[in-house]
Amino acid sequence: MKISKIRGLVAALFAAVTVVAPGASIASANTEITFWSWRTEDKAFYESQMRLFEAKNPGITVKFTPYLNTEYNAIVATALTAGKGPDVIQMRPYGGMANLSDAGNFMPLTTADVPALKKLPVGILAGAQGYKDKKQYGLPYAVSALGVMYNPDILEKAGVRALPQTWAQLQTAFDKVKKAGFLPIGNAGGNGPALEQLHATVGPTFYGGTAFFNDVVAGKKTFTDKGYVASLKAVADLAKWMPANYQGIDYNTARGLFANEKAAFYIGGNYEIGYFRSLNPSITIGWFPAPKANAGAKRYVGTWADGAYAINAKTTQKAAALKLINFLGTKEFGQALVDEIAFIPTAPYVKINDPAVKEINRWRTTLGTPFLNVVGFRFENPTSSSILQPGFQKLIVGGTTPEQLAKDVQTAVASWYAPQKGKS
Amino acid sequence: MSSALRREQNRTTGTLLIPALAVIIIFTTVPALTTLSYAFFSWDGFQRSTFAGFENFQRLFSYPYLDQLTAALRHNTIAFIVIMAFQTSFGLLLAYAMFRVKRGLRVYRVVVFLPVIFSLVVVAYLWQSLLDPYYGPINQIITGLGVPELAKPWLGDTSTALPTLMFINIWRWVGFPAIVFLAGLNAINAEYIEAARIDGASESQIFRKIMFPLLAPSLTIITVLTFIGAYEWFDLPFVIGGSNGSPAGATDTLALMFYRLSFGSIDSGANNVGVGSALGVLIFTLVGFGAAFGSALLRRREVEQ
Repeated sequence: MKISKIRGLVAALFAAVTVVAPGASIASANTEITFWSWRTEDKAFYESQMRLFEAKNPGITVKFTPYLNTEYNAIVATALTAGKGPDVIQMRPYGGMANLSDAGNFMPLTTADVPALKKLPVGILAGAQGYKDKKQYGLPYAVSALGVMYNPDILEKAGVRALPQTWAQLQTAFDKVKKAGFLPIGNAGGNGPALEQLHATVGPTFYGGTAFFNDVVAGKKTFTDKGYVASLKAVADLAKWMPANYQGIDYNTARGLFANEKAAFYIGGNYEIGYFRSLNPSITIGWFPAPKANAGAKRYVGTWADGAYAINAKTTQKAAALKLINFLGTKEFGQALVDEIAFIPTAPYVKINDPAVKEINRWRTTLGTPFLNVVGFRFENPTSSSILQPGFQKLIVGGTTPEQLAKDVQTAVASWYAPQKGKS
Repeated sequence: MSSALRREQNRTTGTLLIPALAVIIIFTTVPALTTLSYAFFSWDGFQRSTFAGFENFQRLFSYPYLDQLTAALRHNTIAFIVIMAFQTSFGLLLAYAMFRVKRGLRVYRVVVFLPVIFSLVVVAYLWQSLLDPYYGPINQIITGLGVPELAKPWLGDTSTALPTLMFINIWRWVGFPAIVFLAGLNAINAEYIEAARIDGASESQIFRKIMFPLLAPSLTIITVLTFIGAYEWFDLPFVIGGSNGSPAGATDTLALMFYRLSFGSIDSGANNVGVGSALGVLIFTLVGFGAAFGSALLRRREVEQ
């Protein structure tokens, strides 16, 4: 290429830049904020909501980017500790990201900035607070609830007329279902976290729900408490109603057994319902809270905040980010979240139309108790969950005893949790 | 060679080495040394806090990490011994068979090497499906043969999970030593074998006295690579058993434990970068010294052709 030609090109480029420049200055009047999430499955939902937000807030555009669920924590932590990251962040609840809050990576939110916070229950707000400073760092958007899901058609065929109210009645129902040629429960042992959720569903009635939660958090009781040991034993007792070779049945196969109407019951979270329906749209699913340990005990529904929306402490677009957070706290957005993704909304002012979600939420509000491990003991390693998940897999095959497992959890938690230090 | 020429050559060599050296230093040496320093600090999540001396190492050697560490180390060691014994000997057998085969060598070579190039996720999914205790064909065949008591939850039983993982690993990787040994066999001067044959040596004598000793360099490479692979075993256990080495830690390895500690998991919560880095230092020392010592030892018994 001749020099003159190059000069010509350079001149043309300059001309192009000067022509574009006025447009660029218009563009800079427009604020772009970025929003990260781990809900790749909700991309379409969020993008349509962001267009609504933009319509209401001219001059602000939102770029929504979801990341792979299992890699999200590492991606967010890396970005934030490097002083980067998005303006608005979907935040994991409780211990999931509390260490990032404590390190000052999120902007504290006040009720003056985000009025929607005033309307949320205290236990839900705790899901988005720092572990050390207890400041509010996020606006929780949804809650989860644990219970027993059942297939009414199978129960009818097996002659189970009334829903079990006690642990003994539940076992009788399992026997009847087995006799009728169905699997009593789809739950299996291949996945540690699923077993932990099973325990969080059936366990609280044995250890005494919220009272025990408060005591163990305050250091007044320990995990070696008789009631807690009994709750672990309840999980071991369920093993005999699990499908054959349950140790090796993974999470998806286990859920598939219920979804494909081979198993009568599945014990777990409300978030499974969407998965069951996606596998078998014609399935009818009933839901009831875990039965009580005995006639004198109480029933509980394990519950916890599912996640929150937070603002990067280093954002340069604070005003726009707050606008977005406040939009995510509106009734309209909450309503769309429950109507389109069937989440249980945190805000009491959102109306639930889905009958299944409505029923679960009714029980949750009356019998709710915090998911012990998630709400209380996931803030430092070794977490109670990191001991219990493999521990339950051992327990259901007789590889350990409920007493030993309780002792293991206590030792692990006492190694970092101040109120439990030195206790066994 | 004149000294001026040598100097000139050294300068050129040095200059040419700079880009590669820079990449190694920036992306390997510096991060490795940084990790070493991480092990001596306490951590708030992903933020470095105060100097902690040997506290992280002390914690690593106490409950619950010590139990996990000894179990993981045991699993890695078993994996090394078993994989070395079966994968290497079976690979050698396949290599010898391919060396002797008269027709279709290319087809055999492709077939033997095929599982190596399969994506690990595909291999894991394939075997998980085959071994599924409920729907899997393997247990259905076993039951069909009239021995239902042998139909086990292979990947879910604490006593069979690790052996099953090792089996899958061997199935996937056996083509690698086979191809390396085949190359080694092809590199042996054919005159040696012919001379032995003329002297009346049997096939087994030729294999034991000529081929096997001359394969020593290949064996060194395979042993060292198997050692490193076994003690850094991560991918297959992670894809199949998750970061906790499911079931009940039966498939836990040092690398899984390192990953779990350093990055935490969404299922069980917070991480501990300090203890994780202490473990990283331990793994690095073990694998580094083990591999260096092993290869020095093995090289001594190599013979020149």
